[in-house]
Amino acid sequence: MTQQIHGRVERLRADFDHSFAVPARTIDDEAVELLAVGVGGRPYALRLSQTSGLHPDRPVVPLPSSVPALRGLAGFAGVVIPVYDLAALLGHPIPEEPRWLVLAAGGPPLALAFQQLDHHVRVPATAVVDGSGAAAAARGCLRGMVQLPDGNRPIIDMAATRDLVHRMAGHEHSEASS
Amino acid sequence: MPENRDPLRYFRIEAQELVEQISSGVLDLDQRPGPEPVAKLLRVAHTLKGAARVVKQKEIADRTHEFEEILVPYRDDPAGLAVADMRELLRLNDEISARVAALSHPAAPVDPPATTATLPEVAEGTADVAEEEFVASRASTEDLDELLDAIGETNSRMAPLRAGCHTLDKLHRTAETLLDQLRGGRASTSLTRTSAQRLAAELGSAGRRLIDAVDQVERELDDVRAKAEALRLVPAGSIFTALRRAVRDAADDEDKRVRFVAHGAEVKMGSHLLGPINAAFLHVVRNAVVHGLEPPDERVAAGKPADGTVTFEVERRGRFAAFRCVDDGRGFDVTALRQKAQARGLLAVGGGAGESEVLELVMHGGISTSAAVTEVSGRAIGMDVLRDTAAQLHGDVKIRSKPGAGATVELVVPLALLSMAGLLVEAGGSMASLPLDAVRACVRLSAMEAATAAATGKLVYQGAAAPFRPLVETLYTGRAVPDAAGPGVAVMVHAGEGTVAIGVDRLCGTHALVARPLPDLAPSTAVVGSVSVDADGNPRLVLDPLGLVGEMLRGDGGGHRTTTVTSAPPLPILVVDDSLTTRMLERSILESAGYQVDLAASGEEGLDQARSRQYGLFLTDIDMPGIDGFTFVERTRADPELAGVPAILVSSRASAEDRDRGMRAGASAYVVKGEFDQEELLAHIRRLVVRA
Repeated sequence: MTQQIHGRVERLRADFDHSFAVPARTIDDEAVELLAVGVGGRPYALRLSQTSGLHPDRPVVPLPSSVPALRGLAGFAGVVIPVYDLAALLGHPIPEEPRWLVLAAGGPPLALAFQQLDHHVRVPATAVVDGSGAAAAARGCLRGMVQLPDGNRPIIDMAATRDLVHRMAGHEHSEASS
Repeated sequence: MPENRDPLRYFRIEAQELVEQISSGVLDLDQRPGPEPVAKLLRVAHTLKGAARVVKQKEIADRTHEFEEILVPYRDDPAGLAVADMRELLRLNDEISARVAALSHPAAPVDPPATTATLPEVAEGTADVAEEEFVASRASTEDLDELLDAIGETNSRMAPLRAGCHTLDKLHRTAETLLDQLRGGRASTSLTRTSAQRLAAELGSAGRRLIDAVDQVERELDDVRAKAEALRLVPAGSIFTALRRAVRDAADDEDKRVRFVAHGAEVKMGSHLLGPINAAFLHVVRNAVVHGLEPPDERVAAGKPADGTVTFEVERRGRFAAFRCVDDGRGFDVTALRQKAQARGLLAVGGGAGESEVLELVMHGGISTSAAVTEVSGRAIGMDVLRDTAAQLHGDVKIRSKPGAGATVELVVPLALLSMAGLLVEAGGSMASLPLDAVRACVRLSAMEAATAAATGKLVYQGAAAPFRPLVETLYTGRAVPDAAGPGVAVMVHAGEGTVAIGVDRLCGTHALVARPLPDLAPSTAVVGSVSVDADGNPRLVLDPLGLVGEMLRGDGGGHRTTTVTSAPPLPILVVDDSLTTRMLERSILESAGYQVDLAASGEEGLDQARSRQYGLFLTDIDMPGIDGFTFVERTRADPELAGVPAILVSSRASAEDRDRGMRAGASAYVVKGEFDQEELLAHIRRLVVRA
């Protein structure tokens, strides 16, 4: 047990020291950062660059509304932000209580609730199969797939999801960005 | 940093306050001459002069001295000031104001405008900026006092907490003594048992006291936060002096005598609203004086008092604020306006344009009732500015006119931030605030009374039957209602057309709150007016009494209602089970709970039927010949048409493995037949069923 921990500490230390020896990695177009998530019991991925925050276990106050996907409101540093159920937006039955809220990049502020955060990965751009094209248009909020060791995951496009929310909420102008 | 080296730091604040007092004092004196307003003005001016000398603001001190010199001869004179003296007083007042304002904005030109006897054309941007900044005043002393009181109150609530800590300490020692006794084995069992019982009882009561104390502190902190937030709001009265001055100046230019009356000074709102509103209404009140009020002889001939009256009123209506300028002049000359509009081709000649249509044209600029374009009122510019302001603030303008009796111009704008007192209520596990000014009474309900009220939709209150509805139904419109104890209190809410009774689970006290509009992308019903943020930073819904009453009165036409009146009806449920007994049992349970039910005897039949109509839920057995329940769920999940319909598995298989498999297949709930609990099943269904 102690031996095991000792070994791990050694390994971490070596990795840490080694990190100074390798040239600084540049953030380039060659890699994509993704959040691997579970929505409505299915695996999906989100592009980290399309999000602006991730929060667990935040209370969501239900709001009476004619939009079923609108779960309610949550507070973020004094700002009240609408929370939509990602599962419902993707067409899954609404699960019991999503645990995570991810803030979509762009404005107006929008939070999406989902049940499970699997992991955060950085993959080469080649692992992402481009979903843009005529056939992709019909796929709703999904754009492309990513090949991960634990299987392929469709990528949820935040801009498309935001567009869908804007349409549902009857928001005047779509400001899908990024 | 540089602040403590800034010698003008305090003077700026004091001077601004004194200048405000001087400005309103001059107008007071203008309307009610006499020794008293003169003495008051002299006192204030003297203070300002002294303070200006201390900080070496010679110009301000000298102008204030001249101001005093004019007033001194009138100290004991009950008659008013000579017209020329009054004009000079106003000019000096403006010059002093401009110099004091320049201290806060060193970039602005220090020299006051050369001619200040009449106000410059206010449609120019610079004047608007000055007026808007005028409104962004600091918090009033009274508000700060209230905040300090609230902080003091919170502090005093710490005493029970402190006492609780001492009690805990004492009980800790008692517990250690008891432990010693037990360890030593010296004391008798009965003695130690008595000690332990006493300790438990004391711990229990200490715990309860602590919970009470913490609750109290929490509420007080909530109050403090709301009061601190309210400091960002400005009372509407802060724009009254400027409007009054505009009326006075316009009356002076037109040789008219005008009385200015203002109501609603205490209504508070964000300064970003008051700035543009002030700028727009400066035009409106001037228009009222120039175009609306008749010359004195004409007024007397018409049987009106020689002095005209311009009234400016501010009032809060739910989440809106209304600003109204009323004059008792001649009203809009609709006939002249119509002719003018026709001459310009804005209206078809001979077309029977109604009064409202003509007034609408006034609103959109281009025509004015004034024969001459004067410096004071411009050419219907006022209405243009008001219209632009309304558009900018998402507001609405209404013009009403009664020939010979006067005109009313009203601007209604939604409030972004609004401070109010709220009654905090709980319903179905959710908290919401009701604006206290709409609450007439709270009536405790017995279980029996609550049931009767819920069944009939009526509650007898003060001899009349008021519409009744549990708040939980309203709050959960469009989604499953959580199981709750049911209403224990009816809150009588009055707004607009009437009074209604709202059933809530419990009352949680009153609190001060600052309400803000719902964010974008959060469309809600008329019942939710705004949202506030509680002490933990979580949103709390603020109900709109007008929307609440409106919805209930409208939805209550027949006098009878079902309990599901607010939420859409659930779609039918498909029961898939190979056992006839189970199918019939489930059908009877579901039908008596108000659901429409279809039956299928196998998975295959179930799949066919599922595609034949829109269902709100699938309830399926697992062990069936042919396609089993797992497969049924998997297949429906894989079908884009059916994936949105939740599925519940009902089976005699109770193992964790089967549950897991069911959940993996995509079932939303798993109910074991052996532990079959009707209520549990219905609770799942209520939660999951898709509504039309």
